[in-house]
Amino acid sequence: MPKWLPHILLCAYFGGFLLLIAVLAWFRPAAHRDNSQPIAFPHTVHAGRLGLACNFCHESVAHGPQAGMPAVAKCVSCHQAIATERPEIQKLLSYQKKGEPIRWRRIHQLPDFIYFSHKRHVSSGLDCSACHGAIAEMKEVRRVRSLQMGWCLSCHRSRGASFDCATCHK
Amino acid sequence: MDRRQFLQMLGLVSGAAALSSCGSDKGQKELVSLLVPTEDGIVPGTEAWRPSTCCECPAHCGLLTRIRENRPVKLEGNPRHPVNRGGLCLRGQASLWRLYHPQRLQSPLKRQADGRLQTIPWSQALAEIAEALQHSRRQSRQNAWLAGRTSGTLNALLEEFCSSLGIERLAEFEPFSHAALRQSYGLLFDRADLPRYRGDQADLLITVGADLLETFLSPVDYTTQASALAADQKRHWLHLEPHYSLTGANADDRLVLTPGSEGSLLLWLLQSLASQRRYRGRWPQALQDLLPASDLAATAAATGLRSQQLQQLASRFARAEKPLLIVGGVATGHRNGQPVALLGALLQWLTALPWGGMDFSAGENYSRVGSLLDLEELSQRLAADRIGVLFVSRCDPVRHSPAALGLQGTLAKARLRVGLADLADDTTDQMDLILPLAHGLETWGDTEPRRGVIGLLQPLRTPQQQALSEGDLLLKLLRQATGKSPAADWETYLQRNWQNRFSRVQLGQLMDDGYLTEPQPQLSIRLDLARAAKALQGLHLQAPLTLPAAVIAPSIRSFDGRSRSLELLSEIPDPLTTISYGSWVAIAPQTAARLRLQDGDELQMKTAAWQSKQPVRIQPGQAAKVLTLPMDSLPAPATGIDPLTGEALRYCEALHLKPTGKRHRLPILAGSPSQQGRGLIPTPVHRQQKHDQQNHGPRASFYPEPHYENYRWAMAIDLQRCIGCSACVAACYVENNVPVVGAADHLAGREMSWLRIEPFYDEQGRVDFLPMLCQHCNYAPCEAVCPVYAAYHNPEGLNVQVYNRCVGTRYCSNNCPYKVRRFNWWQHKRTPPLDLLRNPDLPLRSKGMMEKCTFCLQRIRIAKDRAKDQKRLVQDGEATPACAQSCPAGAIAFGNLLDKESGIYRLVHSQRAYRVLAELGTEPAVHYLRPE
Repeated sequence: MPKWLPHILLCAYFGGFLLLIAVLAWFRPAAHRDNSQPIAFPHTVHAGRLGLACNFCHESVAHGPQAGMPAVAKCVSCHQAIATERPEIQKLLSYQKKGEPIRWRRIHQLPDFIYFSHKRHVSSGLDCSACHGAIAEMKEVRRVRSLQMGWCLSCHRSRGASFDCATCHK
Repeated sequence: MDRRQFLQMLGLVSGAAALSSCGSDKGQKELVSLLVPTEDGIVPGTEAWRPSTCCECPAHCGLLTRIRENRPVKLEGNPRHPVNRGGLCLRGQASLWRLYHPQRLQSPLKRQADGRLQTIPWSQALAEIAEALQHSRRQSRQNAWLAGRTSGTLNALLEEFCSSLGIERLAEFEPFSHAALRQSYGLLFDRADLPRYRGDQADLLITVGADLLETFLSPVDYTTQASALAADQKRHWLHLEPHYSLTGANADDRLVLTPGSEGSLLLWLLQSLASQRRYRGRWPQALQDLLPASDLAATAAATGLRSQQLQQLASRFARAEKPLLIVGGVATGHRNGQPVALLGALLQWLTALPWGGMDFSAGENYSRVGSLLDLEELSQRLAADRIGVLFVSRCDPVRHSPAALGLQGTLAKARLRVGLADLADDTTDQMDLILPLAHGLETWGDTEPRRGVIGLLQPLRTPQQQALSEGDLLLKLLRQATGKSPAADWETYLQRNWQNRFSRVQLGQLMDDGYLTEPQPQLSIRLDLARAAKALQGLHLQAPLTLPAAVIAPSIRSFDGRSRSLELLSEIPDPLTTISYGSWVAIAPQTAARLRLQDGDELQMKTAAWQSKQPVRIQPGQAAKVLTLPMDSLPAPATGIDPLTGEALRYCEALHLKPTGKRHRLPILAGSPSQQGRGLIPTPVHRQQKHDQQNHGPRASFYPEPHYENYRWAMAIDLQRCIGCSACVAACYVENNVPVVGAADHLAGREMSWLRIEPFYDEQGRVDFLPMLCQHCNYAPCEAVCPVYAAYHNPEGLNVQVYNRCVGTRYCSNNCPYKVRRFNWWQHKRTPPLDLLRNPDLPLRSKGMMEKCTFCLQRIRIAKDRAKDQKRLVQDGEATPACAQSCPAGAIAFGNLLDKESGIYRLVHSQRAYRVLAELGTEPAVHYLRPE
């Protein structure tokens, strides 16, 4: 057996492994890489230029744990008349016509075992931007905070909020 | 790059790749904009409560249904409902399992020639029925409708349906028909009805066979009454029965009598009471002469009671201000059933009616219910080929009719058999067409379980299958057969009926509260002497049953067996034997010793006509020659018919017993039937040995002392009130998404229930129940041993388990002296659509996590959230765990110990309060109130 053969085999073995990872990464299902929302909703227009308050659309933000997504009927109540010719509005109206709910891609997401209440945070005087960033300036919403436990606790510590695990862990 | 660098790089890259795939966020990737805003007042992520009515048994308790994400996730008793007043039994709690049952009938089924079932569309099913109806009319055969108990507007529609199609409406079928009682009230008072017994006002309650806590008429109502009675020192409750039932276990006194001898006892009681000065004036001499002779010695010999016991009983009865005697259950299920019911009714007339102990104006609605005699007649007509189309709706006569009736064979003679059901049973197995019925939580409707009490049914979930409500089905069938129907659909029909019957105010009340009460005229019940004399003329007491005899006992877990297909109810152990899955026969320790039997050994029981082989469970306190066969899983729970009353016979006498030598593994969940002298429920003996900290010197601890600022949550369980009914266990399972694991895991000691009921027997066979759950100790042994700080003590005194931090070392469970921590050995998955029955306020625990009672942390959180909105602390009674809420006996109290005004503070500082295993110094937050 030639002396270089084991080296070549070893390199081929590990190289193959690397190649496999690369291929897997490349061929991950398209849905995973598709970051676009079903409708290109611009917060810059609604929250920014028009200056609508957050809870104009996210109605339950001060009343319950979830901020709530506006119903299609709510969007259409304005867009029946406003900018109806634009392609994105056409998309919106088609949802209404088909009688189909809009399934937005979730940007801010907490694990199943976490209890988080928007109401409690808003009513303690926290601004939406503290966690969500300057949404009014984002053409497409991005997550600007890690939403990890350490980050939560840093704020809880500085504001003297509860430090009990059971406050957030269900 | 050298080899070492290469490997380092490789490790880094593959590690990063592996790590990046961690933390799955499956299932949460979407935010949905609904089409239209949600119903008024519903905030996403919060609960809504809607009133409804439980249809799991004929009692029809009032419900409040908790709705999350548009579907019912929990049922609770409606605190204001006149039937159950907030309590709900374990069957009621488990009825959500029926709603989401994986084997729910999905669509109409038709039996093929080879016996297999084929799915057919509704249109075809209805057309075939309409054609068969017409066909049998042409051939002058009668079409008939047999149903379980029906009340409310459905009753009116069924009447209309049957009369316009010429269908004969047969007497309704209920396995617990209480036919003997109704017959006796009919014979004596001309009122064949079931009154509401006022045990809540009696100072002496004597129950003969009537299983108030399990299945008698309205179990939650009677549980509330009986447990209050048992907890009151001034009032007394005495139960007489041949076997050992939960009702007997909870009475102040339990007397064991020979099966079939209840008649002799009642006769003697009646005669000795009638001779008392107090009752002499009321008792007509004409009847006295008709009664058979009776004396103390003969009665003692027949009943197996000592004369002294009998005399005590009679004198107590005679002394009582407001005595109430209730006869029923197994006492009327033998050949002396009619005399027992008649003599019982006479005693009631003599003693209870004068002070209003029986309320016939609020009678249970059983007027349309027949007996097995009606079923016998049907069987004869079937055999004579006189029945064309037979509908069987919401009942299982095949299972509940005795073999002698031959119903299974004669059913085949009907030209078309149509079954209406939600789950397959023995009866639907004999049907040609099976039509799926919607659940009570899926349709509109009303019920009238008790005269003057109307309960509301409303759709809280759209049926996922093609199931129809019975009302809709009737209307559709009517339209198919006659071309017209009284209303477009059931909802319209119902609305019209309601508008005709109720005022606008009443209707509003029905919708808001879920129930309505209508004042009923007071009835005066008179003893019709001529009728009574006629009834008593034929009174003949036969000899008691020949021992050894087996009692086929009704079950708290499955009623007459109708709830046995709900798996949750098999998972919760029987309170007396703690057996979860499977069937068994309970025998006395003496009998077991004589036959050399141990738990699980198979015993053959044989009579000339009947035989059964069951594994044995030794039951302390059981009479030596009486065996108890629970009704749940017996294939034929009725052994015959009483020809005089039409009641099912629930006894097998003159048994030949033979051990077969085989052994079964029974899932017995109790570690021991006795307390082994540990004083878990202290008796005076234990109280003398001071089990408190004074004997242990000052506490030495590495850990900081717990300090509580606003809340210290605590629980008090009154063992005097606890009846072991396990409603709390069922409520806990549903509220906390506790996995149901099955028989194999139970046998391996891997049950998951967070709350269990431990029965502890003393030497005399008396039992006390100890509900055991996480004790939320001040100095919890589990917390100190957790290597990852997953078990920790929170600032409100809760012993919290942080699920996602748990790594599954199980040290905590090993160190827990109360054995209340449960480990997930598997990833417990539920068959769809059962996975929809999930409380979203809790995560599902995955494999390898430890879990346990949290004092319903999620409910505390909701209460705190509400309080915080109003800038105050949680008030007493605002936070209630599921177990405390469901308890029909009101045995569990929960609250904040730092609030000195609270109910819990008072209970914890009561004379009776103690803590289990207090000598360990764990200082639990669960305080028990010992029975006196």
